[in-house]
Amino acid sequence: MTLENGPLSEKLELRATGLRKSFGGVEVLHGVDITVKGGEVLALLGENGAGKSTAIKILAGDYKRDAGVIVIDGEEADIRNPRDAGAYGLRVIYQEFSDAPDLSVAENLSLGSLPRNRFGLVDWARVRRDAREILEKLGVELPIRALVGTLGVAERQVLEIARALARSARLLILDEPTSALTLEETDALFAFIERLKAQGVAIIYITHRLDEVERIADNVLVFRDGDAVAEGPVSEFGRKEMVEAMVGHELVEEVASLRGEGHEIGDPVLRVEGATSEGVFSDVDLEVRGGEILSLFGRIGCGALELAEAVFGLREMTGGSMSVGDVSGQPSSPKDAIARFGIGFVPIDRKIDGLLTVLNVAENLSVASWPWMTKGGLLPPRATAKVFERWYDTLDIRGKGGATQIVDTLSGGNQQKVVLGRWLERESRLLVLAEPTRGVDVGARAQIYHVLRQFADQGIAVLIVTSDIEEVVRISDTIVVMSRGRVVGRHRADEVDRAQLIRQAAEDTVEAAAAG
Amino acid sequence: MDDTSVAAGGESSPEATSSVGISTRARIARVFVAMPPEVVLIVVLVALGLIFAQGSEFFLTTRNMRNVLLSVSVLGILAAPGTLLLISGNFDLSVASAAALCGCIAGVVAEENSAAAAILAALGVGLLAGIFNGILSAYAGIASIVVTLGTWLGYRGLARLFSNGQTIRMNGKVDFITNDIFGVPAQIVLFVLITVLAWFVVRYTRFGRSVYAIGSNPTAARLSGIRQKPTIFVMFIVSGLLAGLAGLILASQLDAASGNAATGVELEVVAAIILGGASLSGGRGTIPGTVLGVFILGIMQNGLTLLSISSFWQDVATGVVLVAAVGLDQVRLRLSGS
Repeated sequence: MTLENGPLSEKLELRATGLRKSFGGVEVLHGVDITVKGGEVLALLGENGAGKSTAIKILAGDYKRDAGVIVIDGEEADIRNPRDAGAYGLRVIYQEFSDAPDLSVAENLSLGSLPRNRFGLVDWARVRRDAREILEKLGVELPIRALVGTLGVAERQVLEIARALARSARLLILDEPTSALTLEETDALFAFIERLKAQGVAIIYITHRLDEVERIADNVLVFRDGDAVAEGPVSEFGRKEMVEAMVGHELVEEVASLRGEGHEIGDPVLRVEGATSEGVFSDVDLEVRGGEILSLFGRIGCGALELAEAVFGLREMTGGSMSVGDVSGQPSSPKDAIARFGIGFVPIDRKIDGLLTVLNVAENLSVASWPWMTKGGLLPPRATAKVFERWYDTLDIRGKGGATQIVDTLSGGNQQKVVLGRWLERESRLLVLAEPTRGVDVGARAQIYHVLRQFADQGIAVLIVTSDIEEVVRISDTIVVMSRGRVVGRHRADEVDRAQLIRQAAEDTVEAAAAG
Repeated sequence: MDDTSVAAGGESSPEATSSVGISTRARIARVFVAMPPEVVLIVVLVALGLIFAQGSEFFLTTRNMRNVLLSVSVLGILAAPGTLLLISGNFDLSVASAAALCGCIAGVVAEENSAAAAILAALGVGLLAGIFNGILSAYAGIASIVVTLGTWLGYRGLARLFSNGQTIRMNGKVDFITNDIFGVPAQIVLFVLITVLAWFVVRYTRFGRSVYAIGSNPTAARLSGIRQKPTIFVMFIVSGLLAGLAGLILASQLDAASGNAATGVELEVVAAIILGGASLSGGRGTIPGTVLGVFILGIMQNGLTLLSISSFWQDVATGVVLVAAVGLDQVRLRLSGS
């Protein structure tokens, strides 16, 4: 076993040069170089479609490169499929888990190579011993007998990495590993990555979050439109330089001016008083006015998301009252929230909860308005196509197929715009969004903020639940900080800085730490 | 020096030689992927037609085509609501049993009452059967495949109870259901009407698009304000009602009702829908596809019988065609995915 003593395994040095790849005659990767060494974290930045994942899939053996050379430890590597990549110690940790949730942690660590005793039966004692050894080596504590499905997201992520290392991985490629993690879990993962670094593992870290690059990476490599446009030590890059490299110059200016300044903020639209849901949030007062963008900021699990769900009728409040405009009471269901209260809701995971994946763009844009649009139950494609024509300019939905493109084939940012557009079409009075730009690239993110600002300028009240500090400071007029189900701070956006907000959101842990 | 140049040559030369072959293959693959799924089915249907026309002079006659239509109409009538259910991610495995039950009810009622009473009784029981399936599947939160697996057994048992395990003679009482309307047998007219109606509903109504939305992503549908339960409930009711109609047609065709009528038809229905391109996990499927699936099954049966191939081999052949057609479609989907 590779983990028996000292460093995990020999350090690797990978040098890929001139990687090219075309799909159907269109070149999407124009000859890029990637260099990474053991004990080093290389952050790979770039918008969706910049060629990051194509490059990664070439390294992982999922795609066959059209041109280019991969040299590992000074020798040319012949990577034709994922098996070859594995043999060289290259492994990709995707966002989707590849573990077996119904099996134990220990068994997952030996999956595919379960040790057998002399009778040819599974040697369970050794399975557990091996598991304990691996986890100890990595400095990770996981309950080895627990079923993997019962672990938290962060723990499964760590297990996923441990599984790769148990199969003697020397280069780990992490694909946006923190996208589903809380701040605390992210800290734990980063500590883990630091340990791996110290043990000589090479890491390519794909992300959209610039603060993570600053925290964890040694070098950064930025892709744009299939080219590597910038690279070097992280210390030589500022945030502004990174963004500029990712999107080019034109968007950067726009990003800065997104805060709504000098526009009219109208009458209260959403009023929540003393809202309580046993054990989730309690005694929350909230007021969102027409034309205002209010961010409900807090760490995952702080109760903000649950409050937003309650506002949309997805969760019952046990106490308190709410009203939207002149309609008071709590919606009994999403249908009620949409029809009677005029609320629109963009869920946290658009892919799972927001999109009607097999329907087309026009249908996805119009679905919430179907009850209005239909005459005698009829819904001709012409009617939905009209909805598309009304919005595709405003929203800048970029797809090849127009109104009838199946929404599943759009990029993440465009999908999110479609979900947003649904509520524009529905003429909602209040829009509630949960983590609206998670997993969305920088360019599309700016556009989404732009659309939200347009919403607000039309007098719509916008309530955003987010754990992304960048988002809070860039888009909101008002910021309400939640922690442990309670409101712990209220600020006007121009009166507060990042550090203050993060400190406030983490308040209870600070107190708990002080007490303990 | 030499070593590296050899390695580099070895790397590039096979790619250069194979690139021509790949591009033709890629072109064929692209055409294949771009085709609507129905094209594959039409090709299969035409190929079967050509083979059978070679083997039997009788195959392409008007009379035989009429026979094919007669034989698939019950399957087609049941497959229309079945397609909607499957698109929404639901199954109705009880349709054939319900049809047998309704046929028997019609037979029993017709013994002492008018034909109209028998028809009303059959359709009414079909409706009830659908309501029962619908309440349990949509409102009680039991998976519809489980509910209708239960009623598949239950309705069949009731049918045999009502018929006392015997064949009930109808003495021509409801045979007008299968009489000609302007020279076309009524069951064919019903099949065509119901199919066209289903196609229209699926394509042009809010209800139809909601069915796709629910099958595609139930949570997203709910968050968009689509009411899932009533939609599913209505589909089961229609399915039950049409099972009643199918039972009447079968009883009328044979001029007899039997508790064993339409045995196994529920799986033929599922087979036809799947052949037509529907996905077992919901969200995918079309009425034209299902109709083609129905015809492929019907023509297989008809043609193989004309070629005097034993019914045992017919089942084997049908099974092969089913798996091959769905497999081909999977290949197409996989190609389009990458």
